[in-house]
Amino acid sequence: MERPEHPLRPQRLETLTQEAVELGILSLSGSEDGFGIWDHTDSAEAMLFNIGTLRHLGQANPGVAFSWHRSSLAHGLAKLLGFTLNQERFLATTLSITGHYGLGRYSLARWLKGSAIPPEEQDVLGDWLNRQQHASPIVAAEDWQTLLWPQWSDGEVVWCLSDRAGESVSRCEAQHGFDELSSYLVQAHEHGDIRSLDASQTRSIYQRMLKADCIGLMAIAVGALQRGQTLATEYAAIRKQGGKRIDHHPAVQFMLGEVEMTLQHAEAALGMTTRPLDELDLGVLLSMRARLHESLCQAANHVVQVHGGIGYMRDCGAEKIVRDLNMLKLQGGGTREIPLFLAAWVEK
Amino acid sequence: MSLNMHLDGHLPSTHQLSPHWQYGEFPVLARQFTHYSSRDLWEADTARLPKALAKIRRAARGFAEQHIAPLASAADLAEHLPVGECLPDVQRLLIEAGKAGWLSYFMPAPLGSMPWQAVTQPPIWQCALVVEEFSRACGGLMLLLSAHHLGCMPLLLSGSPGAITRHLAPVYRSCLNGDPHLVAFAITEPGAGSDAEEGHGAEVYRPGVVATPAPGGYLLNGRKCFISGGDLAKSATVFAALQGEGMDSWTCFYVDADSPGYSIARTEMKMGMRASGAAELEFNNVFVPNGRLIGGLRKGWALNRATLNASRIPVAAMGVGLARAATELAVDFARRYKLGGKELIHYQDVQLHLATMVAETRAIRSLIWQEAKHAWKPRQLNASLCKFHATDRAQHVVEMALDLLADHGSLHEQRIEKIFRDVRLTRIFEGTNQINRLSLIEDWQEQLLPLDSHSPIVGV
Repeated sequence: MERPEHPLRPQRLETLTQEAVELGILSLSGSEDGFGIWDHTDSAEAMLFNIGTLRHLGQANPGVAFSWHRSSLAHGLAKLLGFTLNQERFLATTLSITGHYGLGRYSLARWLKGSAIPPEEQDVLGDWLNRQQHASPIVAAEDWQTLLWPQWSDGEVVWCLSDRAGESVSRCEAQHGFDELSSYLVQAHEHGDIRSLDASQTRSIYQRMLKADCIGLMAIAVGALQRGQTLATEYAAIRKQGGKRIDHHPAVQFMLGEVEMTLQHAEAALGMTTRPLDELDLGVLLSMRARLHESLCQAANHVVQVHGGIGYMRDCGAEKIVRDLNMLKLQGGGTREIPLFLAAWVEK
Repeated sequence: MSLNMHLDGHLPSTHQLSPHWQYGEFPVLARQFTHYSSRDLWEADTARLPKALAKIRRAARGFAEQHIAPLASAADLAEHLPVGECLPDVQRLLIEAGKAGWLSYFMPAPLGSMPWQAVTQPPIWQCALVVEEFSRACGGLMLLLSAHHLGCMPLLLSGSPGAITRHLAPVYRSCLNGDPHLVAFAITEPGAGSDAEEGHGAEVYRPGVVATPAPGGYLLNGRKCFISGGDLAKSATVFAALQGEGMDSWTCFYVDADSPGYSIARTEMKMGMRASGAAELEFNNVFVPNGRLIGGLRKGWALNRATLNASRIPVAAMGVGLARAATELAVDFARRYKLGGKELIHYQDVQLHLATMVAETRAIRSLIWQEAKHAWKPRQLNASLCKFHATDRAQHVVEMALDLLADHGSLHEQRIEKIFRDVRLTRIFEGTNQINRLSLIEDWQEQLLPLDSHSPIVGV
């Protein structure tokens, strides 16, 4: 974060990741039971560790935090499903939990609840997870090799480990944020290595993955805004306008106050998630995500605005926080369709 | 369109319960009040403009689509260039824009390129139309072409025939002849952004660029920062305080960039609008002859504020252009991207989302046109209001476009993420939107005061 205008190079990210694996912050799928991110989700303490670690990482670098979060979920899921992953490079495997666009509208919620799904909604769900027909966007470390993702196969959701070399993968231009990572459009040729479980097991795992992803994205985002708050308050304390510090002007005080309010709300929301993952309701988490990301993005914009012109410049660091928070909002299907999901989730 | 085509949730336009075609069958008199044309929105708006402005709007769109849009992505993704360098394609664009008259339209021939048919309309309106079209194609290239007009504005607003004929006319002539001469506007100083844009702050600010009397002119010393287009400008309107005096002594100097002592210390790496440089200018004993003093000694503060009043409506138009681009791209995405076997635009929630974006975009354009059409003498209150409201709402529209595309929104190829980075600047420059809100109140004081219970209600 010292020079935000110079993104972390892929080699540096690999080295850092290797160090994090050695420190036990990240666990490979082949390792014994460890204490890395998302290794445990069955107690409040474990969740506190997952959330706290991702928040701290988000404070330092949201792009790095995102890649570690997604690869941690991938390694955990691979272990559960018996997939064999590259044990030399943690970031060689990444995960995409949602379909090619959005959040599956209301069909995903109905399927997760085990409700009867009318044929047209089944078509939406099947199409949403049709990896052969649609290219899905993913954001990952440059040299990823395998992708773990759900697919639709013969009327069921299955888990698939796709090899990059065997799929149609096109690298995109530099994306909006997460300067340390790259974007790709991935379209499957084959079904790849597949694990098919019974429907209730698949639904249960899918829910757990969605919940963990949702919490992870929120935790990283809160960390990113905390960094933004530090930048804004420190700058406002030294910058003068009209002969006095800008944090003595109500125009700036309001923006700093909004940032603080957003963080307080976010803290309270994240605090509610420090319970065993299975006790948390997916609908509640998605509701939080929809509101939280909206307000976090707005607050990050206040951070830039407090800085004025310099906030727009890359060497300041504030504009990167806005871009990274936008990225976090747009991942995992984005937030626009969450109300549709929730309407189906609470449907009688 | 096939007669039976329709979006989900809507009847085909030929259906018995679709009213529009039936309006055409009303009696002649009733048709005058009911039977509307459902033509393209942009075309309909253009047709409502005075003829000369409609022609300019069409020409600006044509130029933007032919010359600006094709360069947008490459100019945005290019490596940060060393000071003074310019991509060859962008250099060619500047030449084409100059020859086509887009760098000289604030004056009619023979001094500039404004069509004579347009002289009866406020130039600010013309500028707002052009800026919207250019912004729609690329925020950064638009800024490269538009910051020049800001730089020229003090020459024009000085009202001095000498300044116009000796300084502005040669600039315009050079541009029209295919040798682009860009002019930068230099007010912002390190440590003082808003103080250069707001009177209360300026009252206590110690100026950073100082003019010291010298035989036959003045010596300028100090630094200006974040100067749009300052890296490529051949000259600049530079605002400096007189030696030993405060901001009330601000004076405008027209400075050649090749003057000894004039240098560009750096250009910033920006979030967006990357095709236009933001330069830090350094003045080290730069001699400016008396003949290049613009608008009179100690008249710089007022000239600066008048320039901002003239430029804030066009800045608001940047917001419209960027919001429009985001809306058009979102509509395009919804028309071609399929989910569940049908295009997204068939889904009701997507239709609601797009409808809001269209309404927001057209609402800010209406505001701007309403103000611009009367902007012969742009009032600070109206100009600031346009600027902060239009740019705030524009960013909201762009965010809605990003949300609609979800994971696809972050991809550069979809173009909306760049628009977000571009629109973000419009809420900061030309006075932050907070400063512009205070600027509205400052200008409203005469109506708001005195504060006593017998004062009549103030009109809004």
